[in-house]
Amino acid sequence: MNNQTLAAKDFITVGLFTALLFVVEFACGMLGYLHPYVVASYVILIPLVGAIPMMLFYSKVEKFGMITIMSILLAIIMFVTGMGYLGAPLIILSGLIADLIAKSGNYKSFRKTVLSYGIFSLWVCANYFPVIVSAKAYREDLLSGGFSAEYCDALFRAINTKTILILVILCFVFGCIGAFLGKAVVKKHFEKAGIV
Amino acid sequence: MDTTITLKIPHIHLDPRTKLFMVFVVSSIVLMTATTPLAWVLRIMITLVPLLLLFSEGRGISALCFGLLYTVALLLMKFFLSTQSTGVVMALLTGYCGIVVQFLPAMITAWYLIRTTQIGEFLSAMQKMHIPDGLAISLAVLMRFFPTIKEEYGGIRDAMKMRGIMLGGGHASKMIEYRLIPLLFSCVSIGDELSAAAITRGLGGNKKRSSATELKLTGIDLLLMALFAILAVAFIIAKYL
Repeated sequence: MNNQTLAAKDFITVGLFTALLFVVEFACGMLGYLHPYVVASYVILIPLVGAIPMMLFYSKVEKFGMITIMSILLAIIMFVTGMGYLGAPLIILSGLIADLIAKSGNYKSFRKTVLSYGIFSLWVCANYFPVIVSAKAYREDLLSGGFSAEYCDALFRAINTKTILILVILCFVFGCIGAFLGKAVVKKHFEKAGIV
Repeated sequence: MDTTITLKIPHIHLDPRTKLFMVFVVSSIVLMTATTPLAWVLRIMITLVPLLLLFSEGRGISALCFGLLYTVALLLMKFFLSTQSTGVVMALLTGYCGIVVQFLPAMITAWYLIRTTQIGEFLSAMQKMHIPDGLAISLAVLMRFFPTIKEEYGGIRDAMKMRGIMLGGGHASKMIEYRLIPLLFSCVSIGDELSAAAITRGLGGNKKRSSATELKLTGIDLLLMALFAILAVAFIIAKYL
């Protein structure tokens, strides 16, 4: 079992959990249309809820590359669902760093897992990237795309160059908190059932 | 020709590469909002093609649902809502119509790709495009899993309804837990079965895999690719010039 190259089984695991993570993201994403402030609170919601499938995923990761591939898949999904390609390099970068951190703990150390998941969660922030980089054009696009002016104003009040740092930190922190939460859930349900 | 044939829609089965190209084009266009009437027309045309293709593959019901949703959102947006609309309900409606009109075309195309492509076909297409095997397998599983998750979730929702655990009743954390955990359980076991099946079929071996279905770009594939390329270029011109 100490084979370091990824086998078909690993790729299947990656695909499966990416699908689950996307479902979580999508469900949370739907809430964003209630109010733009909810869009900003993705940094709290998604890392927390996503931690449950992700901690299960981390318990199955044994080799380098799985987390990176997951981030590539996420970047592809984000593109296909219309979130743009600007955030893609950031998503993949956060995945790669997360993978390296987890690797340094040999994919066993829980402390490294927490840190790794915190970094991995930053992919949520990567989706704000187009909002910040091309704020003005994005606003025009939203307005002509049928979003109300009120929504746009609130959106840019919540997400701009000043708040992004706070959002990134929040994202990281809630990623770490989520890791503990997810671990507890996994322990409660899956370890008892003998799945992990 | 007899009379019953009038309702029959020709069956068009496209090459996965054509579908991937369509997904790529639609996703790129979805990034840009339509600003001029011409751009709107192009956008709607691009949405219609995958809808018709869904019909032709015998997925009429989902095509109808998608089409209806898109039309309603489009009409609401054009005639009832404006950027000046205020108030909670209006803002909500504007938001939802906005997202539907904006992103649904990408969803339809992606759904079309997912529902009408067999895994074997997809992997063979990936191989022909020289995508690394690992990425191709992950992508194939990812794609295949959305319908599965939908089905599994339906079952779980029914079960929870019977137990009286419903949306809005009780705690949010409980709601998440009672839905997500069973979903994870069933998905993990399906994943295990899938790996076993995949390994039996020689996935992940060192040899180059052969495929039972031979992929070939036919005339209709080329026609659709050309159509989408033209539509994309026309859309960009209509938006920026």
